[in-house]
This record gives sequence, C-alpha cells and structure tokens, in this order.
Amino acid sequence: MLTQAAETFRSLAPNGVDWSSIAPEIALGVWALYVLLREAFRKPGSRGAATFTTIFLLLFSLLCVRNAFAIPAGASASFFGGMIEQSRTTELLRAFFLFSGFLTTLLGGTLLKKQGVPQAEFDVLILLATAGLMLLAQVRDFILLFVALETMSISMYVLVAYIRHSASSLEAGIKYLTQSGLSSALLLAGIALLFGAAGNTALPGACADPFSFRELRVFIFLNQGNAFVLGGAALVLCGLFFKIAAVPFQIWVGDVYQGAPTPVTAYLGVASKAAGFVLLVNVVTGPLLPLRGVLLPLLSAVAILTILFGNLAALGQQNVKRLMGLSGIAHAGYLLMGVCAAMALNVDWPIVAVYFYLFTYLLASYAIFGVMSVLSGEDDSAQTLNDYAGLMKRDSFLGGILAVSLGSLAGIPPMAGFVAKLFLFIAAFTAHLYWLAAVGLFGVVVSIYYYFNWMRVAVFVPCKTEDEVEAGTLKAAPIASGFWLRTVLTTLALITVCLGFWQGFLAL
Amino acid sequence: MTRTLLTILLSPLCAAALIALFGRRRGRLSAAISVASAGLQAALTLFLLVGGGWDGSTFRDTATWLTLGELQIDLGFYFNQMSALLLGVVTIVGFLIHVFAVGYSDDDKARGRFFGGLSIFMFSMTGIVLSENLFMLFIFWELVGFSSYMLIGHYLTDVASAAAKKAFIVNRVGDFGFLLGIIWCFWQFGTVSLAELPQALSASPVAACTLTFIGLLLFCGVMGKSAQMPLHVWLPDAMAGPTPVSALIHAATMVAAGVYLLGRVAFIFNPQALSVILAVGLATAFLSALFAFGQTDIKKILAYSTLSQLGFMVVAFALAGGSEGAATSQFHLTTHAFFKALLFLGAGSVIHACHHEQDIYKMGGLWKKMPVTFVTFLLATLAIAGVPYLSGFFSKDAILLLAKHANPAAFWLLVVTSFLTATYMGRIIFVAFLGKARSHAVEAAHESRPDMLFALVILAIGAVLAGYTGLYPHALASYLEANIAEPTHAEHASMLLISAILSLGGLLAAFFIYYRPGKNTDTFEKAAPGVYGVLREKLWFDNLYDWYVRAVQQRVANLVAILELVVIQGVLVRGSGGVAGLIGLAARRAHTGSLNTYFYWFAAGVLAFWLTTSGIL
Repeated sequence: MLTQAAETFRSLAPNGVDWSSIAPEIALGVWALYVLLREAFRKPGSRGAATFTTIFLLLFSLLCVRNAFAIPAGASASFFGGMIEQSRTTELLRAFFLFSGFLTTLLGGTLLKKQGVPQAEFDVLILLATAGLMLLAQVRDFILLFVALETMSISMYVLVAYIRHSASSLEAGIKYLTQSGLSSALLLAGIALLFGAAGNTALPGACADPFSFRELRVFIFLNQGNAFVLGGAALVLCGLFFKIAAVPFQIWVGDVYQGAPTPVTAYLGVASKAAGFVLLVNVVTGPLLPLRGVLLPLLSAVAILTILFGNLAALGQQNVKRLMGLSGIAHAGYLLMGVCAAMALNVDWPIVAVYFYLFTYLLASYAIFGVMSVLSGEDDSAQTLNDYAGLMKRDSFLGGILAVSLGSLAGIPPMAGFVAKLFLFIAAFTAHLYWLAAVGLFGVVVSIYYYFNWMRVAVFVPCKTEDEVEAGTLKAAPIASGFWLRTVLTTLALITVCLGFWQGFLAL
Repeated sequence: MTRTLLTILLSPLCAAALIALFGRRRGRLSAAISVASAGLQAALTLFLLVGGGWDGSTFRDTATWLTLGELQIDLGFYFNQMSALLLGVVTIVGFLIHVFAVGYSDDDKARGRFFGGLSIFMFSMTGIVLSENLFMLFIFWELVGFSSYMLIGHYLTDVASAAAKKAFIVNRVGDFGFLLGIIWCFWQFGTVSLAELPQALSASPVAACTLTFIGLLLFCGVMGKSAQMPLHVWLPDAMAGPTPVSALIHAATMVAAGVYLLGRVAFIFNPQALSVILAVGLATAFLSALFAFGQTDIKKILAYSTLSQLGFMVVAFALAGGSEGAATSQFHLTTHAFFKALLFLGAGSVIHACHHEQDIYKMGGLWKKMPVTFVTFLLATLAIAGVPYLSGFFSKDAILLLAKHANPAAFWLLVVTSFLTATYMGRIIFVAFLGKARSHAVEAAHESRPDMLFALVILAIGAVLAGYTGLYPHALASYLEANIAEPTHAEHASMLLISAILSLGGLLAAFFIYYRPGKNTDTFEKAAPGVYGVLREKLWFDNLYDWYVRAVQQRVANLVAILELVVIQGVLVRGSGGVAGLIGLAARRAHTGSLNTYFYWFAAGVLAFWLTTSGIL
C-alpha cells in the first residue's frame, strides 16, 4: 500500500520532486489524521488506536534501521532540489526519533491514565512532532529547517500543557510557548540576515538560492568579515542553542521540564535536544564552517559554561524532573565538546561519537523517565528524591533499572554512558581542546555526586512507611506497572549494558 | 568451529547467570544447572578432540572489540594442539569434579553460591585456554583469580576469608608484573596476538636484555597463578575452601594455567630468562616437598605436593625451553591433573566421611571402611610417586631424562625430590588409611555415595592410563606439537631402574618411618624436633611477609591515611564540595520562575553572541 501511495505521489510531483523520499513522514501524518478521525467517531467505551500507534512507531523505527543498513556507507542522495539529503546517518536518525516517539507514547499510556486525560490527542501530537523531527534530520535548507522546526515546536507547546487540570503544566506550557517563540524569532531573524546578505548581487559569490546550505557555505567563505553574515550566524546559533538548552539559553529548562507531563519531559530532553544537536552539527560543519575561527572559541566557551552550570545547578536539586533537566544541560555541554572537536578537526568521527552519545543518553533517560512515570503520584510535577527512598526494597526491578541507567548517565563502566563519554573526551583531546576536556572531567566528577546520591536514596535510605510496614499496620503499596513497559525498560537497560561492552560496529 | 568453541566457553557463564537469577535458594536446581553445563562442555570437547569436530589444524578466529587510534583489542580464539589438550583436561576433570561436588555439598546451605562459583570458574578457565591474545587472556586470568577468591572464601569463616584475601593479594603481586609484561610486549612488538607474536619477534630483532625482561615479567604472572617461590604462600592457605574446589582449582586446572601460559608464549623466553625460571622451579619443587613433611592436615600435605609438582613442570619447561620444554611440561600437567584431582577427591571423600576431620593423626584404618576410596587413592599415590607404568612415571621420566641431558645438578635435585615425593605420599597412606582408627569420628566413617565414587573411579582410570606406553609418547605427541625426548633403549632401562628405586624406595622409607599403628604422634617430629619445626614453619616465609606487612607497609599506609584524611578529605573534598554547593545554590537561585528574568537572560545571550562574532568581545 505504501509503495502504491508513493507511486501516486510521484505522479503528482512536478519536475523530479520525489515525494517517496519523505514517505515515512507522510505516513506519520496520515496515521495522525487516522487516529484523530477514529477518535472522533469512536463509540464511548470502545478501544482507541493508542496501542496500534505505539506498535506502529516501533515497527517503523526498526524498518528505518533496516533501510539504513541497505544504504551503502558514505553514499548520499539529494531530493527536492537539494533541500533534503539522505544517507545512512539520516536514516538512523529517523529511526532514533521514531524510537523516542515510540517510547514517549508507551510512557504516555502509563501516565495519562493516572492523570485522567485522554491519550488520542497526545498520540497525534507526538506523531506530528516526530514527523517534524525526522525532517529536521535531513534538511539542508534554512527555510525547510524553520518549517520543520515549527512543526515540532507547535506540537510541543500543546504537549507541555497537556495536563489541563494541573497549574504547573499550564504554567510550563506558557513559559515554553513564549520563550520558544522568542528563540524561533531570533532564528528567523538570523536566517533573514543571511538570506539578505547572500542574495545581494553586489557581494562576491551571491547565491541563486540563499537558503541552501551548500550555496551559503561558498558565499560565507567569500564574505567572512561581513557584518550581516556574522550577525546572522550569531542569531541562528542563538535559536539552535535554545533547543539544546546551552548557557545562556538554558534558563527555561527547570520550570518547563518540571511542569510538563513526564513523557513529554523525556521527549523534550531527548528527542528535541537531539534534533537541536543534529541541526547544530549540520550548520556548523556546513554553511558556517568558514566562520570556524570566530565560532570555535564561542562554542568552546558556551560548552564550558554549560557543563559548569548544568552540573552545579543540579547539585542540590530535590525535584527529580528538575534534576534530570539541569543535569541534561550538562550533557548538552559534553555533546558540545564533541561538536567543537568535529569543527576543529573537520572530520566525521567526532560526529559519530556525538550521535552515539545521544543514543546512550536516550536509553538511560527514557529508562529513568519510565521509572518516574510508574512512580508518579497525583501531582506529576512534584516528585522528589524522597519518593525514591527504599525503592530497591519495594521493587528491586525498578531499582535495578534506575541503578543501571543512572550509572550510565554518570559514566560508570561497564555502562554505555562511560564509553560514549570516553569517545567525546578522546575527540576533545585529539582536537587539542584541553581546557574543555578538563572542565568536562570536572563536570563528570560533580555529576557522579548527584546521580549517586539518587542511587543512595533508592538503595540505602529506608522508606518512610517502612516502620509501619514492619509493625504490620500498613502494607507497602505494590508498585503497579504493565508487562510491556517492564519489558521495554528491561530491554533499554540491557542495551545500555551491552553497548558498554561492545561498540565495535562504530566507525570511529 | 567458532560456534562450538563459543558454546563451550559460554555455557558455564549462562549457567552462572541462571543460578544467580533463580538458583540462590534452590540448591538442587543450581547443582543440576552447573553439572549440566560442565557436561555439555565435556561432551563438546570430546566431539572436537575425538569425534571429528576438528581436523587438527590450528584454528584462529577474531573479532575486533575496541579500536582506539593505534590500539586495537581483539577478542577471539586461538585453538591449537596444546590448547586442545588442556581444554580436554579442564572440561573432563572439571565435569567429574562437578559430579563429585554434588554429593560432597549435600550438607552445604549455600549450594547455589557454590555451584555458581564453580560455573564462573569453568567459564574463566576455558577463556584462558582459548584466548587469542594476551589482553584477552589477562581478562580471564583475573576472572579465575576472582572465582578462586570467591570459592576459597566459600565457608565464610575467618580462616577462609583470610585465605581468600591472601590468595587474591598474592596473585595481584604476580599479575602486576604480568600486566607490565603484556604492555611492554605490545609496546615492543605492536601486537599481543599469540598467533602474530612469533613473526613479530623474528621480524624485529630485540636486545637480549629487553627480551629477558619481557620474559621474566610474563613469568611473574606464572609465579602468582602457579604458586612458584616466593609467591607460593597462598596455595596451602587456599585449602580452607571446599575440597572439590581444591581439587579443581588448586590442583588440577587453575594452578596449571601458569604452566600453560609458559607453553603459549614459549617462543619469547631466551636462555637467560630460562635459567632464572629453572632456579625458581627447582627451589619450589624441592622446598615444597620438604615442607610437606611438616604438615599433618591431609589437604595441606597435598597442597605442598601440588606446589612441588608445579615446580617440576616449570623446571621441565625451563630445561629445554621452546616447544620441547612446553611439550614436556604440558605432559606432566596432564597426568598430574588426573592423579592430583583424584588425590584431592579421595581426601574429600575421607573428610566428608569423617565429619570434616582433616588431621591424618586422627584418622587411621580407613581402608576397611572405605575400600573404593582407599584403592583409588592408593593408585593415585603410586602414580604421583612415579611407580613404573603408571601415568606419573612417564611424565616424570620425561622430565628426569631431559634434566639428565641438560643439567646434572638439576637432575640430582629432582631425583632427591622424587624420592621425597614417594615418602610423604606414603606417609598419608600408612598413617591415615592403614593401621587402626585413632578417633570416634573415624570409627564411624563409611564409604561415600556412589556418584562420588563414580568420579573417583573414572579419575583413577585416567591416573593409571593417562601416560601409558601405548599412548606415550606417540599418541600425545601430536597434541604436544613436539616430540618429547624419547629414551633410547639403554636409557629406557636405566630410567626405569631409577624410577623404580626412587618410588618404591620412598614408599618403603615411609613404611619404616611412619607405620606405627595406634600411635598419634609423628615419628619424625619426635626424632628431630628442631628440623621438624623448621619444616612446620615452612622456612618462615609467611612470618617474613607478615612482618613486612605489619612493620613496613602498615606504617606507610597509616601515614598515607592521615594525609588522605587531612588533605584530600578535609581540604579538597569538603572544601571543593562546599564551594561547588555554594555556586550551585546561586545557579538554582537564577531560576526565579519569573518570565521577565528569563528574557533578560535571552537578551544578555544574544548580546554576548553578537559581540563575540563581531569581534568586539
């Protein structure tokens, strides 16, 4: 059926525009419409399409992985006049976003039921946001970049405020809307400046298509000192740094992460951040690479500040969602280190290291957010470390998942997070970014403190109700979580451990 | 082939994982899983060796594990005749000991932990045998060290935990040298692959001095694991573990890993290194045989006997070096695995029957009550003593012959040691098995369960036949990859005579000295209390180490501890923790919750970016 649809689109296409190249994104949109329609005409009491959506996302993600390895390494193809470029990497990134979409809907199934809010619209928004993210992985053109980014952002505004009866969710929604809107405006202003400069025929190398990454790169190379180019580059970076939550555009993280429903927080923290990094990598090693001399010190400084701020702010944090958010800022700092190395060396392997890190971050983060969704009580935003006291005794399965994932985030061998961090540090050292690596190491040490503190609470601190349990007056509430959720969490933890031992497939 | 080897390697690991998950409280289940995995290993090994699963050619298969710039670490198998032989020994003896352990541990409360440990050990030991390179070998080397530690300390008594710690720490000393050797080897030759090292060695000429050092550093690992002087002190203490463990790990297989390593890297040792190794081996063989006379615990006597035999193997290697030395030492390793495992299991059978009594002067007259145990134990004793036409005769014969040609001094020392071996083994037979019962526990002893006897009988067949003329040297020759010095007819006759005199003479001497039915004092101790005291104290090796630890190491450690407390914990940790906490407080205070503040951050950020890119800042 898909191929048939692709055929139809191809026949519609004017002058060689190949719609089948974005068939997965179109399929996601169609599925989203189907879910909406089905929900509208559903008889009360009958089952919705939620389960199918989850399975659909998972299968689709696996399909993309298979497709990726059918593409020969190093090969790439352009579509839509160079707006989109596809290669094995972009195909794997598509799989990455589909997989995080799958995990988000799965966690949503657990949490939304408890909060008493419907799931169908949630799934629709996740599907649309995921489609936007998948496009972002492949864009090589500023206008499509902006459109895809807004597709994702607009869905996210609604998702953050999804629990309508919760004040903190609504507050987070408003804060995210205004700040993200501002960042989009800055990004757009930057694009406009670049467009204006590159379209000016008085300047050397003026572009026929001033949005295209490839043409802009040549233009910027010829006009490195132009004030419009420099200002435009600065504003574009401002917009992207907001998405990855790097200092000084990180300030929204705490409130928004805390207020958003836990699965959305995970999606923001992993998928949206990953998309930011994909864009950043493509922009700074693409059109903006000629400005390396100016941008490398800037990015290094931002990376240092981000690592320091994230780790230090997370240090005394009690609210676990804020803790994840603030420590996520620090992870963005480590990743920036890899981006800086890729820029400085102008080679590809630090980028592979960055993407590998993002994948290990996805595994560990979603496992932790999964545990959080299971444990979350009436108020989704108020979970603190104290709620984890005695978790190991109450439910050793959840405790084990938490321990493995926190270990991976802290970078403890033999977890995958250790190897991923190691690659980034090797990249920084190879690029002679010694100060950056030193700050990174300091940050990792600090992060062990708060991650292990969380583990300590879960393992050693007795549960508040434990005395009463022993006295026989109260039974410890059994922690309910579905079979499939447990299976998926186990798989995530297992992959985390396996990747810690074997990552020979990486072409580093 | 790769798949078969992987199954052999991983099945005990799976067993250990299953036991850890489900078997911790279910003793019978975990015993079944563990025995099944050992059985599978033995069956697959037999399939490879005699069932036609392997054509006899050297097999090598590797997969890249880690690449960091120049450094590439592979995981893989390097399977040749020598590894085939040891794999056979490890899996078959290992399987029999597993079977025996089921009966032995029937009164053990932590059976799951015990069998889990055995399975982890089988995994690690198989890994050593199959490893393709020194890095991988080192990983498994440490894993056997860990499983040995776990199993020695199995009974959780003070003595057992002290012994476990001792074994671990002493091995660490040796392993440190071993690791340095591996690193140096990599640095010098650019590879640690066992298959590629010989070419690398012949391709790039290395200074003799460097080669000697690399060889001796690698030998450090052997000294730890195979308990050569002066790192031998852990092995007698390791007898605190359950007896099947002593049989499997501290007699038949793990301690032989060192000798196996020598064979694997035989090409690296030059004459200078070999002469040092020879001296170490001779000292170990001779002194340990003497120390055996000062012990009354049946397992400790056997432990010193193991030390002495390991010394024999190391000497055998050092006398000839290269593939000939390797072959001779591997030959003795193989026969020794059978008769020493049998001796330990026999001792285990006795100990089990006598309610964990281990002093031979409290036993006596056991031959009537435990006939099967007695007969098998006797066969093993005759084999280790070197009585002609039993397995030990052939392998020891090969060593003595080698020594006769190469080094007369070593030859005579080995002759004396062989005589001593027969004597101290005769002592066990005459004191513990013959004569009259010396305690009530022994009077009430009865024969062990049939499944335990099954293991004893099979091993006894091995102890008799493992080196038999029909097999030796022709059948084993292909496995040993080099001809063992084959005696000429005249030499054969003279060696036969020497061996007969040594073994039977030693046993006779034991009879005259020690056969005193009913008495429970040591004849030798009475006759020469001074010398006996020296032997009982094992030349004060342990006391010397204790003194060093107490007087030197402990004081340095105390000093460092004070520095740590004041400088690191006080100033650095608390201080930096405090500073970080303060900054963190400030960073958290930045989150005011008010949108207005947040927009100022934005404005500041945009300004900073603009200024930086415009080059103003």
